[in-house]
Amino acid sequence: MITLIYGGSSSGKSAYAEDYVCQSNCKNRYYLATMQAQDDESLERIERHRSLRAGKEFITLEQPYDIANTIKTSEDCIILLECMSNLVANEMFRDGKVNSESYTVDKIIKDIKTLDEKVSQLVIVSNDVFEDGLEYDDYTKEYLRALGKINAEIARMADKSVEVVVGIGVER
Amino acid sequence: MILIVGGSYQGKTEFARNEFPEAKYFNQLHLFVKKRISEGKNNSEILAEIREVVNDGEWVIISDEIGNGIVPLDENDRTWREICGRIMIELAKDATEVYRVVCGIGQRIK
Repeated sequence: MITLIYGGSSSGKSAYAEDYVCQSNCKNRYYLATMQAQDDESLERIERHRSLRAGKEFITLEQPYDIANTIKTSEDCIILLECMSNLVANEMFRDGKVNSESYTVDKIIKDIKTLDEKVSQLVIVSNDVFEDGLEYDDYTKEYLRALGKINAEIARMADKSVEVVVGIGVER
Repeated sequence: MILIVGGSYQGKTEFARNEFPEAKYFNQLHLFVKKRISEGKNNSEILAEIREVVNDGEWVIISDEIGNGIVPLDENDRTWREICGRIMIELAKDATEVYRVVCGIGQRIK
């Protein structure tokens, strides 16, 4: 069962997603972290998220790509995947290569389906990065198209999609 | 206090004037936050100042949502976007009503 939690930067979507996950009765709670620390700023963000999760009994799994491999066999657990925007970047710009939009979309959707079959609940946090009206280079456009398609496909597969606005969940 | 958010040019002010004609307005909060950051103020100082202003009487705060884009290249823009988002979350907790305006249509979300 998939839940999509969607919102802009600093919209409160992580705090909302963590509260949502903590209300489930599943045996294990996993936090699937897709961000790779590259500089001080990303380390700071990771640290902020770690302190948000402190005391909430999450088992953290770092999986910047190939998320289908996160869990080996089926188990009664809930996974909070945070976040899709990093995963798409990691899969698209991988091993010094640039993968195409269609390859990236197909790969990630397939991985999500595989992972979803192994767990009780999969909660996916994704970003609204589509509303700044700016013109970007071809790589960024390709990335935006991939993320947009993936978000739409997750929303189609999901039992529930929530947009978080100033910390408030709005069901879609 | 009532909080109204939405993208730029979505008709937030017009919506507010129609719905709350008697209220006092704190408009373009996102620009106020930007100005205070440029003066060296931090998140909690800015939030405290806003709370002080809207403490008295019926207030409507209007702010652009600026977090719905690609991560800005400029560090100051990233800081602004983050502080603005965090402050809006706190103000939404304080607010008795929160509206989001898209294409002139206001949706009450709290």
